[in-house]
Formats: sequence, structure tokens, C-alpha cells
Amino acid sequence: MTIATPLTHVSSPAAAPASAALELRGITKRFGGHTALEDFTLHVPRGSRTGIIGRSGAGKSTLVRLLSGLDTPDSGELHLGGENLLTLSPAQRRQRQARTGLVFQHFNLLAQRTALQNVALPLEFAGVPKVKREAQARDTLAQVGLSGFEDRYPAQLSGGQKQRVGIARALVTGPELLLADEATSALDPETSASILSLLTRIQQERDLTLIIVTHQMEVVRSATTHVAVLDHGRLVESGETGRVLANPQHATTRALLGAHQPLAELAPGETLQQLTLPALDAATLGRLAALGGRVVEAQPTVIGGRQQVLVWLGVPQHLSADRLLGQLQPQAEEVA
Amino acid sequence: MTLDPTVWPLLWKATLETLWMVLPSALLGQLLGTALGVWLTLTRPGGLTPNPALFRVLDAVVNIGRSFPFIILMIVLIPLTRLLVGTSIGSTAAIVPLTVAAVPFLARLVEGSLREVPAGVTEAARAMGATTSQIVTKVLLPEALPGLLHAFTVLVISLLGYSAVAGAIGAGGLGDLAIRYGYHRFDTATMTVTVAVLLLLVQLVQWLGDRAEHRADHR
Ligand SMILES: Nc1ncnc2c1ncn2[C@@H]1O[C@H](COP(=O)(O)OP(=O)(O)OP(=O)(O)O)[C@@H](O)[C@H]1O
Ligand SMILES: [Mg+2]
Repeated sequence: MTIATPLTHVSSPAAAPASAALELRGITKRFGGHTALEDFTLHVPRGSRTGIIGRSGAGKSTLVRLLSGLDTPDSGELHLGGENLLTLSPAQRRQRQARTGLVFQHFNLLAQRTALQNVALPLEFAGVPKVKREAQARDTLAQVGLSGFEDRYPAQLSGGQKQRVGIARALVTGPELLLADEATSALDPETSASILSLLTRIQQERDLTLIIVTHQMEVVRSATTHVAVLDHGRLVESGETGRVLANPQHATTRALLGAHQPLAELAPGETLQQLTLPALDAATLGRLAALGGRVVEAQPTVIGGRQQVLVWLGVPQHLSADRLLGQLQPQAEEVA
Repeated sequence: MTLDPTVWPLLWKATLETLWMVLPSALLGQLLGTALGVWLTLTRPGGLTPNPALFRVLDAVVNIGRSFPFIILMIVLIPLTRLLVGTSIGSTAAIVPLTVAAVPFLARLVEGSLREVPAGVTEAARAMGATTSQIVTKVLLPEALPGLLHAFTVLVISLLGYSAVAGAIGAGGLGDLAIRYGYHRFDTATMTVTVAVLLLLVQLVQWLGDRAEHRADHR
């Protein structure tokens, strides 16, 4: 069971966690007269799965291009693991890029190379000898569930399989940061879900920082721990996913939530508490209600390879949240 | 219409002359034309290493090279041919103008095939930390291979046509034979056979080219 940490909204720097995986400060990016990103500041916690959500043209892909070193901002700072990405020499930048994996909406696989050769490509650029890079590529393909597909060309793979190759290719160099820009937007819902759970599993197994760019709230809901909402190149809201979904502060967030209705609204005077449960069945719901807590948001997740549900409770202020959670804990674990 | 049997050795010799003109210039043209095509692709606006001034120059050179009628090109290039080969007459001498004609022709075709490689693929390579030369050798050229093979086929066939023009002004080959017998001596039989051999060559090149292209295409 996990008790929620304070909301990590950028406007409250005191709440920022200690280990900074990725730090963006005052990033501005213009294209001619158009400002794609304006004074963008965001802290992405190490080991988080952070969703970046916004409407079309909000600046999400621009942000990904800056993070992956494909483009440079006009001003601002960009730190990854304490390293300033904007003061690197071109050679250092290329090395740095090998430690950042990028997954694309349209896969961007090389049509004339087999799955194995595609996955081995980043290692080939890095000068890794053929035998070694192919062994590594084979292992990585196995990790994304594609053993036996090594010699297929992209044209012989389904969309989901192509994206798995894309993910393996992004992972083969052992990155600390994985960026997925609309990685499931070209896939059907079922395949999307399997790709999202693959990304979630990999993020956990490898303990890397994952950034998932999307315009779909469902993606944020099912796969992220944190979320940042972009609108017209500006950050309008960020924090833990459950909190933001349960209690959206900005009109854009609410609009993006659109079809997605929170299970319940947080009532005035209630505080929000997060906990992890093995399942959200009728019995659990009953117990929660009996204790005075109300489920306002729930989100399936995978923790340690097991299916769990992240639950956000609205707890009336007169109840001690700690006591409520304390009472619930043993029972919750019984269920597990 | 009867065929003079003494024509067969002539026909054989002319075929060899044609191949001797066409194949080296096709290979040289492919090599230099690919290089020029890559250069155009890199320097064009939005390319990997944009250089508008250089691009305009290269682009103009290619256009000028392509707009020259081959027969004029041969005449214009006589001094260069003399310098390189020692003479401006004969099959070997024809290799010079044929190559010069081949380079811009092929550069355009290569540029077209390279442009078909999706921008996202190049971008993915850049995001992996590839250098520009790695992108050219490991991404652009291999991904464009079917198009490059197609370009080579078109080039060889065009050079077969150009070589007939070269033949008309003393380079020998099948074109020369067809013109000498058919046009100057009204020997329709010999001309027909010669043209048939030329046609067969074109068919063979096209067939081989299509096959190679098909085998190389995994898209
Ligand atoms: N290379 C460029 N040149 C000019 N304008 C650009 C360029 N790249 C992006 N823009 C502009 O910047 C803004 C942000 O674009 P971006 O691609 O980051 O949006 P996005 O949030 O990824 O949108 P989508 O959901 O449609 O992918 C848009 O208005 C876009 O037109
Ligand atoms: Mg985008």
C-alpha cells in the first residue's frame, strides 16, 4: 500500500522530489513568429512514467524533439541526471542520444532491414561489432516478446509488432530516458493497451524514466504515474496522475478529460488520498465506504509484475486519513 | 530482302563496341551520379546539411547537363575527350561524353529515390546519434536501393540510345551499323537485324533490372 506523496506541481518547488531525472527550466522554442513552447518549466521525477498531454499543436512533439536532441530551444535549460544537455559538443550530444530512447507514432523502421537489423542499428552507429550487437538485439527483441521474428522485414509485421521492434530499438542501448511520442495512436485499442502495458513493464523492470506523449486521456490514465498538461506551448497543470484526474484545476485538463468522467467529484472539505489495492471489487468498496472514504478515481496499473489498482479516495476532513488507511491496510493485504 | 551472311561478324563486333561504350559509362555514371544525387539531397533546403548557395549551383549544373542534346554534348566535349583519351573518335572516346551525360541524368533519379525515404526514418537515425555520413551509408542509400537499381536500369537503356547517336559520328557500335546499312545503303535486312539486337539488349537489361529491383525490395 502506498500513501500519496504531496502534489508535485511545478508552481510549488518545495514539493519537488529529491532525485531529479529530468529538469526543464524556462524552455522557449519559436518557429519563425510562432511560439511552440513558452517559458516551459517541468520536473520529471526519476523513475516516473510521466504523461504529456495536450491538444494538437500544443507543443508536445516539439518538447520531445528538444528532449531527444533533435532540436535545440531558443532559451531555457535542460538537465538530465544533472547533466546540462544544451552545453554538450556535437559528439557528446550523439553519445547522449544513445542514452535516450525514442519511440515514434509511425514506428519509423527501416523497411530494407530485418527486425533484428533494425534493433541493432543504434549499436551499429555506436560502432559495436556485428556479433555483439546482433546478440544484444536478439535479447532485446525477446524482451518485447518478439523472439522468432528476428528475420522478418517490417512489411511482414503487424502494427503492434512493428511498434515492439521500435521499442526494442529504443531500448537496445540501455537508455535512462525513454520518450514515446503518440506511440499507440496508430494502433487499434487492444494493441494500444498491450503496447502501453509493455512500456509500463519495461519502465518498471529497467527502472528508467518514461515520458508518454499523447492526446488521449485514457493513455494517461492507464499508464502514467505523473502527468503534465500543455496548452498553446505552456504548462497549465502537472502532478500525480490520479490527483490531476480526480481534481483537475485547469479548463484544458477538464476539456481533455471530456468523455472520461471521474468516478466522483472531490467534495469541498474532502482531502485526496492515494492507495494501491490488488482489486477494486464490491467487498473492498464496501469496506472503504464503511470507513468513511469515497473512491473518486481509480486507475489500473502493474506493480512488480502484478495487476494492481491505484485508488484515490476523497476523505472528509474530520476523519484522520492515516487512521482510515491504517485500518484498511491489513484487510487490503488479506485480499492480496 | 535478303541478309548478307558477312553481316554476322560485323554485328558481333558492333554489339561488343556498344557494350564497351555503355557499360563503363553506366558504371562511372552510377558512381558519380549517386554522389551528386546524395550531395543534392543533403544540401537542399530542409536536407541534413542545408546549403542553399551550393544547392543552387549543383541544381543548375544538373539542369544544364540534362538539357544538352547528346549530339551537341559530344561535340562540345571533344577537347576534353582528346585530353583524356587522346582521340575523339572511336568507342573508347565515346565513353567520355556518355559518362558526362549519365552523371546529371542519374543524379536526378537518385535524388528522387532518396527523397522517397521517409523523413521520419532519417529523423529516427538522427535521434539514435548517427553522424551524417552514417545516415547516408547506413540509412539513405540502403533504404533507397530498389530505386537506385531502377535508376541504373533506366540509365543503361538511355545510354544504349545515346550510344547509337555516338555511333553516327564515328564511335562504331550497333547504332552506327544500323545507320550505315539501313540509311546509307538501303540494306533493310541488316538494319532490321541490328535494330532487333538493340531491342533485345534493351529487353534483357530491363528484365535483369526489374528482377534485381524486385529482389532488393522488402517494402
Ligand atoms: N519545424 C516547424 N516549423 C514551424 N512550425 C512548427 C515546426 N514544428 C512545429 N511547429 C508548430 O509548433 C506548434 C507545436 O507543434 P507540435 O508538433 O509540437 O504539436 P503537438 O502537440 O505535437 O501536436 P500533435 O498532437 O498534432 O502532434 C504547432 O503550431 C506547429 O505548427
Ligand atoms: Mg505531435
